[in-house]
Formats: sequence, C-alpha cells, structure tokens
Amino acid sequence: MSDLALSTARVEVKRARSAIGSLRIVQTACILVIALVIVSPLLMLFVASLKDDRFQILADMGSFRAFWVSNPTLSNFAEVGNFSGQLAFGRYLMNSLIILASTVGFGLIVNSMAGFVLAWGSLRGRALILSLVIALYVIPQESIIMPLVIMVSRAGMTDTFTVQIVPWVASPLYIFLFYQFFAQLPKELFEAAEIDGASVFRIYRSIFLPLSLPALATVSILMGIEAWNQYLWPILVTQTDYARPIAVAIATFFGQDSIYWDRAMAASVLMMIPILALYLAFQRWFVSSFVGSAVKG
Amino acid sequence: MASVTIEQVRKQYGAVPVIHGVSMDIEDGEFVTLVGPSGCGKSTLLRMLAGLEDISGGEIRIGGRLVNDVAPKERDIAMVFQSYALYPHMTVAENMGFALKLKGQTKAAIDERVREAADILALCPLLDRLPKQLSGGQRQRVAMGRAIVRHPQVFLFDEPLSNLDAKLRVTMRAEIKELHQRLQTTTVYVTHDQIEAMTMADRIVVMRGGKVEQIGRPLELYDRPVNTFVATFIGSPAMNLFEGTIAEGRFLTDAGVTLPLPTDCKIGAAGLYGVRPEHLTIAESGAPATVVVVEPTGSETHVLVKLGSAETTLVLRDRVDLKPGQPIKVAPDPARIHLFTAEGMRVN
Repeated sequence: MSDLALSTARVEVKRARSAIGSLRIVQTACILVIALVIVSPLLMLFVASLKDDRFQILADMGSFRAFWVSNPTLSNFAEVGNFSGQLAFGRYLMNSLIILASTVGFGLIVNSMAGFVLAWGSLRGRALILSLVIALYVIPQESIIMPLVIMVSRAGMTDTFTVQIVPWVASPLYIFLFYQFFAQLPKELFEAAEIDGASVFRIYRSIFLPLSLPALATVSILMGIEAWNQYLWPILVTQTDYARPIAVAIATFFGQDSIYWDRAMAASVLMMIPILALYLAFQRWFVSSFVGSAVKG
Repeated sequence: MASVTIEQVRKQYGAVPVIHGVSMDIEDGEFVTLVGPSGCGKSTLLRMLAGLEDISGGEIRIGGRLVNDVAPKERDIAMVFQSYALYPHMTVAENMGFALKLKGQTKAAIDERVREAADILALCPLLDRLPKQLSGGQRQRVAMGRAIVRHPQVFLFDEPLSNLDAKLRVTMRAEIKELHQRLQTTTVYVTHDQIEAMTMADRIVVMRGGKVEQIGRPLELYDRPVNTFVATFIGSPAMNLFEGTIAEGRFLTDAGVTLPLPTDCKIGAAGLYGVRPEHLTIAESGAPATVVVVEPTGSETHVLVKLGSAETTLVLRDRVDLKPGQPIKVAPDPARIHLFTAEGMRVN
C-alpha cells in the first residue's frame, strides 16, 4: 500500500472513531435524561417524607428544594406507623401484606398446578382448555368487576380478606406462563420419574416445581405488584378499616379540606418497601427467566 | 430378572400404523439389541415395553405377566434414556435413590443400595455432585446407576450412547456389556449403530418400517442375512451387491462382469450377487476393475473400485500401494458369497 493510501485510510479510521465517540456521548446523555425523569419523582418522594411541614413540601414542589431536606425527621413515619387510631397505617400495611402473601402463595400453587396439568396432564381436551384460558386473558378485569361485586356482596363476603384474595388467585396470564415454562421441559424427565414410580402429583412437586424457580419468581413479582396495587376492587368491597389495604388508606390523606402531604409521602414510602423487597428477593431468577425466554426462541 | 414376550404387537397413531405385528421372545438374562434405521419403530417398541406408549394390539409379557395395561412404575423395569434424563436439581445420590425413596425405603437402605451401585460404576466420589457438574460419560453412568439401584427385572436402554463422542462410546459400550455380564439382568437395547449392536448383543433384532426383518445372533446375521436390507445394514463397509443372472455356473452382472459361484452351487436363478468387502481380494484371475479411492485406516485398507459400472468396496488386511485410476483385478471368495432373488430375498 502506498504512503498516500495509508494516510487516507488513517484519516478515515480517525473520522469513524470520532463519529462513534460523539454518538456514545449523545447516547449517554439521552440515558441520563431518561434516568433522571424516572428517578426524580422517587427522590422527591423520599425527601418529602423526611420533612415535617406539609405546607413547606407544597411550596418546595417545582423547585430544586424538593430534592433537599435540611432537617430530616422520621416523625411522619412514626405518625403513620401506628396500628390503631385514625392514622393506623401500620395496620393497613399489615392488611396489604396479608393480602399480598396470601394471593401470591395460593396463586403460585393454583396457577402452577393448572399450568402443569395443561402441559403434561392426560386430561382430554387440554388444547381446548388452553385456548379458553388464553381467551380469558384478553377480557379486561374492569369489565367483570361489577358482576363480581354483586356476587360477593350476595355471598356476604364484603369487608373481608377472603374477598380481596380469592378472586385474584387464579389468573389466565400466570396459568399460561407456567404452562409455557413446564411445556418446554424435556419429556424424558416426566417419563423417567414415571418409571421411577412417581405419581403425577409427585412429578409436579418433586421434579417440575423445583425446576421452575424462574417462573415462580416471575409470577411472584408480577402477582405481588398486582395484589399490592389493587385500588378499585378494595374500594368497592371494603367499608371499614378491618381489611382495608394501604393503597386505599393513603387516599384518605387527600381530604376535601386539606392534603397531608407529609404523611402521604411517608405512607407512600412505606408502601414501596415490601414490593421492592419482593423484587430484590426474586430478582436473580426474574432476570434469568426473561433472558432465558429471549435466547431459547 | 425375567423373560420378555412380545406377541403380534401393533401400534397406530390415528390411522397411521407404525408397528405391524411384531413378535419376539427374549430369554431371561439375555441382551437383545433392536437395531434399524431412523423411523423403523425400534424406540416406539421399547417405549411400549416400558409402558410409555399405549399398545394398539397384541400382547407384551414380562416374566410371564401380561403388562399391556400396567403402568410403567408397576412393570418392574428401569430405563436409560438417550438424554440421560437426570433430575437437574438433585445430586447424583439423590438421582440414584429417588425411585427407592418413592418406594418408601428407609434412608439407611437407600444409602446402602446407592453406594453398592456407585461402587459398581465407580461413582462414589461423585455422589454429592449435581448433574451439571459431570461429564457426558459420568452422566451416562449415573443414568445407569439410577437404573441398577432398583434391581429391576428388565433394563431398557434407548440409544444411551448417542450423545457421547466416538472414543467415550467405545469405553461405555464395554462398561455396559461388563455390567450385563455381572448382573445378568434381561436387557433390551435400542440403537441405530450396527457396530454397537454387533459388539454388545446376544441377539440382534433388525427392524425396518415397523416390521422385524431378522432376529439372530450377531454373526448369524452377518454371515446369513435373510435379505438384502439386513445384508447391507449389518456390516461396515456395507456388503457389495451386483444385479445380474446365473448363467453356465457363473454370475453374469448386468454390466457384463463375470463373478464366480461355489463349485457345489445348485441354485439355478438369482437376481443379486452379494459379497462382503473383506471377501474380495486382488487376484490375477479376478475381474478387471479401476481404483477410485484408497482409504488406509492403519489396521486395514479400504479400496473403492469401479467393477463394471458398480462402485465396489474392498477391505484388505495388508497395506497396498494403489493409486486412483490404476487398473487392478478383483476376485470374490466363492465360498462366502450371498445370492438373493431380484426382490432381495436370500436363496443360498
């Protein structure tokens, strides 16, 4: 190669590198802006929950002071953390935890069993049932909520934990998720266990369920978020504090006469902690299940 | 241990028949190999024997007991799968002891049986490992260990060596054979590899298209195949076949090559002349041929020649210096030739 050609090639390489460098700067800037937009409300929430003057919180909103607290205090948390009285947020939090744990616990059992039977059971008409399950998924929850309210009130189930758990335990989406996961496990595992002398239930319990940690984690997180964030349903089926969840209770801070921003912020932070803990606990398998589904085709 | 009787067994998927009335008797303690090309029904037959496939017709008996409608777990069989099918979340010891645990045996009894099997298969140092921490050969041994801890009446193997490399396959072949000689458990072994079938089995069942073509001892199948399918399937390189007719005490191929018959041959008509590659030699009195390819393997030399219009393989024990395109003369051993009808059925 001649010297001229060599130096032209070098110039081209430099230009290409500089273009790639500029592109990376633009990409990083875009990511930072997006991250800021997502993180800033959360940061504002945490900062506001440490301020004890609700009027100051309101005044700070819209300025950078919303992200800074000069005299942090946990008094809001102490106020909303009670288990009795007007601000019994400890109790509402406990109610929400009971609903979350029960819905996720029963949900994992019921949906995984249904998914397993659809994938491996000797049930006649499995394909038809699976089609029905998928068809059910496209029906919006809100469209069946009024008939459900009438059903549960006639059954005398309102204002209970049961009414907030049972209707949401079985879900077409999670049955389908488990079905897909179980169906992709090798047939030989089922057959080997069958020859070893295991019953269908034992194969589910001892072989397939322990292998489905990614699916269990995914369903736990999705189901947990859904149960935790339920708002419309608890409003319709709870009248007293007995089984009222925290999501509904927070709304009581936004009264007609005044808005208790300080307490609302502290209650919101409290509300976030369990669901974040759930996500962190299952994050490893949750991520691996999504990665797995991406590469297995 | 038990005998196995398969009587006119048929299998249909909807209207499509895949097994057409197969019958065979497997003696107590015998090692029988089902061999055939892909899709011949050998794995389906094994799965019917295991109870993993329903039987459309006929009878299967294990130890004299009719098992057509008996669940797999009640047939007292153990199966080793091609993919090993080890439980990924269980250790080697748990994998091997799972069946015993299901039977409700005590932990001490399970440990004893697992250790006994692990001793036989040299698995003791691996008992606490998970399957993903094992090599292919070790996984295969664990799969066998899982089968032998149960002391079943019959072992079923479904192409267990297919996932192993060539060297390991030879080692495992010997291990399985040794294991059978030691335990003397009735074994049915499915493979598409005729070398595996020849080296391991007491008897071989050659299948094609859902039917049994021939049942016999390995050398019986090699020396006296009942038809051209068995003749070409058993043996590597495959038997050479020439189309032609018998005329004046000799076989005249369609390409005009004259091949010798045994001196005492009383057969008047045949459409195919077969000779195994190692029964062809280079001889001055032979038929003229042209060398196409020479393949030295070390212990022997494979020579592909053009004999008339037919490509013919010779396996020579000696090392020969031949070049492609070189004219030579090849002669079959008349005492070891095979004659078939034009339809492929043996006549001599």
